[in-house]
Amino acid sequence: MTPNGAAIFVIVILAGALAASEPIGFLLLYAVIAAFARFELGARTFAALLRSALIVLPLAVFMIMVWVGFVGRSPAEIAAGVPGTRVAAATYVAVVCLRLFLIVLVIQLVALRFDRLTPLQFICALRIPATAKRLLALTLSLTETLRHAVERARTALIAAGVITRRPSLRNIVNGWMLVQTVWLSAITIAVGRMRDKWPIEGTIGRLDDLFQRADPQRLGDGDAIWLLLGIGAAVFGIGIGIA
Amino acid sequence: MARQLISGPNFSGRSEALRARLISRGPAFFIGPYAEAALSGLASTVADELTVYRADTARRRRPFAALDLATCADRKPQTLSGGEQVLLALQCFAQSKYRAVGIDTALEQLDGGNRADAIAFLSRLDACEVTLIDNRMAVAPADWANIACAPKASAFVCDLAGLIADLGPRAAPRIVIRDLDFSYRRGADVFAGAGLTLEPGHAYRLFGRNGAGKTTLLKILVGVLAPGRGDIWLGDRPYAPWRHGNAAFALATQNPDHQWCGATLREDVERRRSAAKLGLDTQALLAASRKLGLTSLDQHLYELPLAARKRLSWLWPLSGVMPWIMLDEPTVGQDRDTCGALAAALASFCRLGYGVVFVTHDDEFAAQVPHNIVTIENRRTSVS
Repeated sequence: MTPNGAAIFVIVILAGALAASEPIGFLLLYAVIAAFARFELGARTFAALLRSALIVLPLAVFMIMVWVGFVGRSPAEIAAGVPGTRVAAATYVAVVCLRLFLIVLVIQLVALRFDRLTPLQFICALRIPATAKRLLALTLSLTETLRHAVERARTALIAAGVITRRPSLRNIVNGWMLVQTVWLSAITIAVGRMRDKWPIEGTIGRLDDLFQRADPQRLGDGDAIWLLLGIGAAVFGIGIGIA
Repeated sequence: MARQLISGPNFSGRSEALRARLISRGPAFFIGPYAEAALSGLASTVADELTVYRADTARRRRPFAALDLATCADRKPQTLSGGEQVLLALQCFAQSKYRAVGIDTALEQLDGGNRADAIAFLSRLDACEVTLIDNRMAVAPADWANIACAPKASAFVCDLAGLIADLGPRAAPRIVIRDLDFSYRRGADVFAGAGLTLEPGHAYRLFGRNGAGKTTLLKILVGVLAPGRGDIWLGDRPYAPWRHGNAAFALATQNPDHQWCGATLREDVERRRSAAKLGLDTQALLAASRKLGLTSLDQHLYELPLAARKRLSWLWPLSGVMPWIMLDEPTVGQDRDTCGALAAALASFCRLGYGVVFVTHDDEFAAQVPHNIVTIENRRTSVS
């Protein structure tokens, strides 16, 4: 599979997950994802499943508490003005969480499939307009800046004795300071870079040179198979929903 | 092509002159004093950082390859040590097509060998303009022009002697480190069975090549990093700041912006006081900050010049709130007069019974502070 095929595959599955409304639609998409995981990742699928579960689980717990525990009705029942049941609320939560899990899982699977490429190499390998590549590279830069800011703020607050490295009561009480310090750091890093380094060098222009040198691969046979399967599952699932 | 050194004291407008020169020159490579101004911020690995700047083979100039890419190609550039980040930036410049480079005090972070290599590389560049600010360079090298910036009346007047005049004697505890192991990644040990005894009333200079682990040792002592094995004793009791928090070491980080807990100094001091419950006299601390050149306690820290922020970062260690003072590359970006005053202040702290640990590649500064050398080499430490 090529990075371009993987990007289109993610978009197809994402569109299918957003459009599917019936269980059969989700089942089809999950079946395609399972096959993708089996043939493209093998044993590493477990890591993707674990990460996806860790991301979705807190939201699932929160939604169960709110919709099943407190509200006791599904949004459709509330809109229709009928009394409703907790079973309908639970079904609603299950559909939302299945959809979200599917989206997170396909992104994790593709990320793991291409984990030998750095994010910048992945962007270079895409056949998309240079402006879109530049936007992706700047988004990546912002993400890295935030991670750097977290490290910087953590160092400052631990060294000052405001928080501790290990979980502690002090961390719960002063955690808000970490959040504020991270944002302050991120803003000052970005401002400093845009004031000095980037304008003097025309650093963003270096990206254009980089993208020009890159030679993105065309879609291959492997891409075609996965894309056909993905599109088939998405269209079939949407069709059943409409019918 | 021209090679020039911009000389002058702090706040004489050297950095502004450098930026103006580079901007008027057209696109030029810029290496600022810290990661945010030395690295592109566009790459998530060292290899990608080099790729961003790589020019066509035909246009590359003489190579400069001080970093061992076999061990660091897939590391995040921000996780390199300060000196290694500067080496990476120089390596990026060496393979780029820029025909001008400006370096703002960044070379001060390099160890002796790397610094000599870097200056030799810059001196032999053909068809390339080099402009440098460097406080450790007393005179410009042969064939380099000197652009002198005259001192200006500055609000940032630093009175280090006045800062410590009110401090009394203090008995700092002895620090004993035994069998210390630490690694950032599996198979890449920074320390393996390292041991060290630091006596109060003495100054210790951590010495080693860029990336040897000097800053890592300081981060372990303040609890930012946890060792894989080994223990630390503070006097007669075990000490694990990575579990219970730092209560003995006041650290001034290499990049001053890595230690602020607030947007203004008032906020920073208040947060340290209330969160760490140290029973500090906030007013005394704020008064002390005036002796480091700060005129308004409510001024946004990031609006101050970098050299002024660096001086302010010494407030926490030099106000005597902790028995051990730790300074990481305190002289970077500081002119000779300020370095001399800081050296005198550290010697005074030792006489008062405090313990002092500092990291510096500035031999002239170190020579002014009576000290022991802690050499970090081959994952171990030795005192001489």
